[in-house]
Amino acid sequence: MTRKDSIQTVEVAEPQMTLTLTEICERGECHAEFVIKLVNYGIIAPVEDSLEERYWQFDLAALARLRKALRLQRDLKLNLPGLAMSLELLDEVQDMRREVNRLNQQLRQLMGEW
Amino acid sequence: MEFKDYYAALGVSESATPEEIKKAYRKLARKYHPDVSKEANADEKFKDVGEAYEVLKDPEKRAEYDQIRKYGSRGEQFEPPPGWQSASGFGGGGYTEADARHFSDFFESIFGGGGASRHAGFGFRPQGPMRGEDVHARLALFLEEAFNGCEKQVTFTVHDSVDYSHLKARTKTLKVKIPPGMREGQHIRLKGQGSPGFNGGEPGDLFIEVELAPHPLFTVEGRDIVVTVPVTPWEAALGASVTVPTVGGKVNLKLPKGATTGRKLRLKGKGMPGKHPGDQIVVLQVVMPERHSDQAEALYQQLAELEGGFNPRSKLHV
Repeated sequence: MTRKDSIQTVEVAEPQMTLTLTEICERGECHAEFVIKLVNYGIIAPVEDSLEERYWQFDLAALARLRKALRLQRDLKLNLPGLAMSLELLDEVQDMRREVNRLNQQLRQLMGEW
Repeated sequence: MEFKDYYAALGVSESATPEEIKKAYRKLARKYHPDVSKEANADEKFKDVGEAYEVLKDPEKRAEYDQIRKYGSRGEQFEPPPGWQSASGFGGGGYTEADARHFSDFFESIFGGGGASRHAGFGFRPQGPMRGEDVHARLALFLEEAFNGCEKQVTFTVHDSVDYSHLKARTKTLKVKIPPGMREGQHIRLKGQGSPGFNGGEPGDLFIEVELAPHPLFTVEGRDIVVTVPVTPWEAALGASVTVPTVGGKVNLKLPKGATTGRKLRLKGKGMPGKHPGDQIVVLQVVMPERHSDQAEALYQQLAELEGGFNPRSKLHV
C-alpha cells in the first residue's frame, strides 16, 4: 500500500560531497575491511591518495561503485579478483558502447542523415 | 494475481536436478544482472529469475510449489487453495540472502507465512535511534536541461517504520533543482530525503545518478560537447566565417583556409558549464551541392586543369 506526499522542492546543496571510510561503510552497509580490500585491488579509490586509512575521503561515484561491487558479489558470488576484473570489463564495455553510439551518430551526420 | 511458472523462468524442466537448476540460475543471473545487462527489462527478469531460484533451490519450497502448480497453473488468474499455509514460510526464521521485498505477490501468497516476509524489518529490537535507509535513483536529463540546469520531478519509494519489524512502502515525489553543468554518471546527494529514521534517528539521503539522453546534433565527451558542421567546398578552400550551433546558442566560427573533412576546431569554454567549463569541438564535414550550374561545372573544369597534379589517392598507390 502506498500513499502520496505533497511535492516539495529541494536544491542540490553539496554536489561535491565526500565520505570518510566510516561513512562509506555505513552508506554501503559493509565492513571497512571490504572497502580496504576494494581499494587495494584498485576497484575504488579515495579522492586523494593517503597511506593512512583514517584520512581517506571517497566521492559519490566511489559509493555507487561500492554498491555495484556489493551487488555483483552477492548476486553472482564473485571473489575479489573476479570482481575487480568484472568491473574493469564492465567499464570497458560501457566506454565502448558510448564510443560506438558517438561514432554511429557522427557517421549518420557525415552520410547526411540528419 | 498472475501465476508464476518458476520452471519456465529458469528455462528448466519439472524434472530438473538441483544441479541443473543452480546452473540455469547462475547463467541467467549473469545474463540479466542489472549491473551487467543492457536489456530494457533486465531488472524485472533478474527479479523473476531470483524468485524462481529462491523457491526451486529449496526442496521443501519446491515440493510445495509443485503442489500449487498442479492446482493453480490452469487458469488465467491464480488464488492459493483455501486455507493454504506454507510449512517453509519465507520470513519464519532461518537465514536467507534474498530480499523478499522484491518478490512478487504470487510468492507472497504462497510463502508469505503470516505476512512477515515483505514487511521484513530490522530483525532485532534496536535500543537507540536508527538512521533511515538511503535511496538511490537515476534521473534522465536532456542535454539542454543538464547544460542550463532545471527543475525535475523525481519519484521514488521510501520505507516508513511502522514498528520494530514492519516497514511500509510510500511513494515520495520531490522537485529537484538541478544545477547547470551536470554530466553523465555524475552523482548528487539530497540530504535527509531518503527513508525516515526510527526511534529519533535521522533520515537517510537520496542519491541521484544523472543520465543524459542522446541528442540529435551534439554528443558529450566528458566536459566537451562535439558537433559536426557541414561546410561548402569553397568555404573549406578559401576560409570563411560560419555560424555554428552550440547548446548555449549560435556563435560565429572562423574557418581557416584549406580546411578538410574531419578537421576539429575548438570553441573554448562553449562546452558543459562549471568551475572548469568544457569546450565545444566542431568537426568539419565538406559537402557538395546536389546539382551544379553549367557555369559552376565550367569553373570546376578550369580547377581540374589548374590542380591536375593533385592525386588524393596517392596513398592507395593508384
